[in-house]
Amino acid sequence: MTDRPLGGLDAVERGPLPSESGATSSFVSIEGESDHPSVAALRARFGSAIQRHRVSAGDQTVVWIDAAKSLEILTWLKDDPGQKYDMMSDVTGVDYGNGRPVEVVYQMFSTTHKRELRLRCPLPLDALEIDSVAGLWHSANWLEREVYDLFGVTFKGHPDLRRILMPQDYAEGHPLRKDFPLRGRFSRAEQTRRALAQDVERFYGAQELVEGGEPQQVFARPARDSGAEG
Amino acid sequence: MGLGDLLPGGGTQKSEGGLGMFGASSPTFLTTKIDFVINWGRRNSLWPMPFGTACCAIEMMAAAASNFDLARFGMERMSFSPRQADVLICAGRVPYKLAPVLRRIWDQMPQPKWCVSMGACASSGGVFDVYSMVQGIDTIVPVDVYVPGCPPRPEGLIYGLMMIQEKIREESLSRHFEHRAEDPALVAQAKANETEIVGLTGPFGNSTLQEKRSDGAALSPDE
Amino acid sequence: MATRTVELEVGRNPEMGIDGRPAQSPLRPFDVPEPDFGTEEMLINIGPQHPATHGVLRLICELDGETVMSVTPDIGYLHSSFEKLGEYRTWNQIVPLTDRMDYLAPLIYNCAYVMSVEKLMGIEVTERCKVVRVICMELDRIFGHLLWLGTTAIDVGAFTPFLYAFQQRERIYGLHESLTGARITTSATRVGGMMADLPVGWLNSLLGFLDTFPNTLHEIDRLLTGNQIHIGRTQGVGAISAAEAINYGLTGPNLRATGVDYDVRKDRPYYDYETYDFEVPVGEHGDCYDRYLCRMEEMRQSVQILHQAMARLPGGPINVQDTNVSLPSKTDCMSDMESMIHHFKLITDGIPAPEGDCYLAIEGSKGELGMYVVAEEGGTKPVRWRVRPPSFVNLSTIAKLAEGHLVSDLIMINASLDIVLGEIDR
Repeated sequence: MTDRPLGGLDAVERGPLPSESGATSSFVSIEGESDHPSVAALRARFGSAIQRHRVSAGDQTVVWIDAAKSLEILTWLKDDPGQKYDMMSDVTGVDYGNGRPVEVVYQMFSTTHKRELRLRCPLPLDALEIDSVAGLWHSANWLEREVYDLFGVTFKGHPDLRRILMPQDYAEGHPLRKDFPLRGRFSRAEQTRRALAQDVERFYGAQELVEGGEPQQVFARPARDSGAEG
Repeated sequence: MGLGDLLPGGGTQKSEGGLGMFGASSPTFLTTKIDFVINWGRRNSLWPMPFGTACCAIEMMAAAASNFDLARFGMERMSFSPRQADVLICAGRVPYKLAPVLRRIWDQMPQPKWCVSMGACASSGGVFDVYSMVQGIDTIVPVDVYVPGCPPRPEGLIYGLMMIQEKIREESLSRHFEHRAEDPALVAQAKANETEIVGLTGPFGNSTLQEKRSDGAALSPDE
Repeated sequence: MATRTVELEVGRNPEMGIDGRPAQSPLRPFDVPEPDFGTEEMLINIGPQHPATHGVLRLICELDGETVMSVTPDIGYLHSSFEKLGEYRTWNQIVPLTDRMDYLAPLIYNCAYVMSVEKLMGIEVTERCKVVRVICMELDRIFGHLLWLGTTAIDVGAFTPFLYAFQQRERIYGLHESLTGARITTSATRVGGMMADLPVGWLNSLLGFLDTFPNTLHEIDRLLTGNQIHIGRTQGVGAISAAEAINYGLTGPNLRATGVDYDVRKDRPYYDYETYDFEVPVGEHGDCYDRYLCRMEEMRQSVQILHQAMARLPGGPINVQDTNVSLPSKTDCMSDMESMIHHFKLITDGIPAPEGDCYLAIEGSKGELGMYVVAEEGGTKPVRWRVRPPSFVNLSTIAKLAEGHLVSDLIMINASLDIVLGEIDR
């Protein structure tokens, strides 16, 4: 048990824990210690684009890569016969809060080699964009849309980057960010008003269903007065 | 003693719209008998409009299936078209994205109609005091019966529907406008006004932390 | 891997296309040429309130007459932000949230979540707990498949299997209730074990269920498998090839129906699944009919696994005997100060986790269910809790599966994917 000061009997009152360590020095690149074949192959091929790796939770290999080269690395991981990660199980994001980079996490599995691998790409908060892999794995299409919706990460080259879970004109921001309050930014009355003002048939006229349309614009911190529309 | 003595207002009163001799006066022998028959017919042949969203919908389906059998209450014909439905059973959590849909379904139902809010999430937001969840559908549609539970057992839903039947039993044609009048200007508007919503949807109990940001800091006054 | 081919006495109509062409009904009483219908292009909306969308799903269809040109699913009508709620709750407080995501097979979600957290923390549960969790997961696999069976049948007009399936589900509800106190929202697991051990007589009830359930399954089988109407609605409808299915991220019976032999229980086994003797049904054509056959067979295989699990259930404690993780018994709390302190700390503070992240995939009833938890050093709450919902990825394929089919086939395809909106929208 750690010695954290309790704020009363209700530990839940503290809210979720942000990361207190802004530095990344707690991660140690364990060269040669991972027996995961992809790690060595990635380091050999991409060198400095592979930032570090570790073994987490006993036997799970996690590799941090540069976001700039993510498309190249993921394409190679999909196509190379020794890697052949043909299944993109999950694409998600992690926001640690406190100014730390948002990380996009790719969870992959190879049905031929029966191996799984996790890649993480840190994105600085002022440049939340990364190349889309929806062209490589169709499963990434909706998964990336969800990361865009909930974290605000833009996926360059995504065929249809729209909000997926929140309403199309949701103006309160990106919900899973740490600086987004749990109950939302607007008051309940304002949320109810905006909800009922939605035209349920909007956004899906035939002309709007064209793929590759402009991604919907969202302002992260809307103006306080309710006149501002997203 | 003619019919004029039995009818309210002596039978010569013309009421303002609609029901002719069953105007806004006190009920009489004839009206109570007709009330009884009409209410009996209505409450024993309710066609529910199942607006099922989440886990409560599964319990609603279980209530309609063989073990608990809503059919013996006359409710076997689940009407999925609101135009033919009597009672809207909102079973499950309703996010704000779904709110206009719920309101539209309610507006599309013709009178007489009633509403059952099934489950904690439909009644008050339940576990989900979050940015996306309506904190109780009574901010959007007028609710007659609330069925608590997460999810309520099928017996709970049946009890709630029996309460609707009790409510129907108490209705009277002489108070027709009280029960059934709807203002067309209120279509697609929220049921509760802003003050009521704020009053109904504040954080409570253990969820006071919802007033904080995710990283634990308090919301600043301008948020 | 050894395979066993199952021969069915149901022929496949050679006129039926399997690459997305509309299926021809085998019932063609009159041999007249089809008249030329003047069709019209229209945009219609199915849902979000609709009996056959299996939840609040909105399908926006561009139709040419009755043929689907494109279908765009619109989800988010049940978004309850489970993942953000999880960031405000301690590890054990998240367990009740997991029931409400996949409310059709809640024990599977309960188990998957705590398995992921235990892996992150490096906690090894007791042998008894492992077998009990296998029993829970397989029971809920049957539970979820029964609901799929009932609702899919009723979507295409067969009311009887719905009633039969729900009758069997009522028996499982009874088992849930005697185990946990709740029918659907079970919250049966805790980090390090279960909320309680199996009650006395529970295994006998389960055995009673397993004795008669295969008969009902056989009855439903007789009603649907060889039924020409059902065959006409499902064969050749919504087919996808194996390579595309992997690329689209399909998992579970949807993927196995295409011929890919991927089951997380066999390929990434957990809880000694490699020691259980069961088969994984793999289809051939990837259409709705093969998905139906796969799920029917999976239910029978789950019955086998349950019998084996019950036979090998060991004695011993159900929870890890470590008071830093599991609550000490009430007797200990009331008599021993240290136990009292541990109890207090566990309830008010929670279990501190090591720094790291863990993605654990299990075979849920819908497909590969992944739970991803990220923790900070000493954190009693997750920094990030992510559920990789199988239905989310499965549903994204519907645009590909339904193109060129009729609207009624779209309903069948949607039903055969076995989606649950609670986990899609989270």
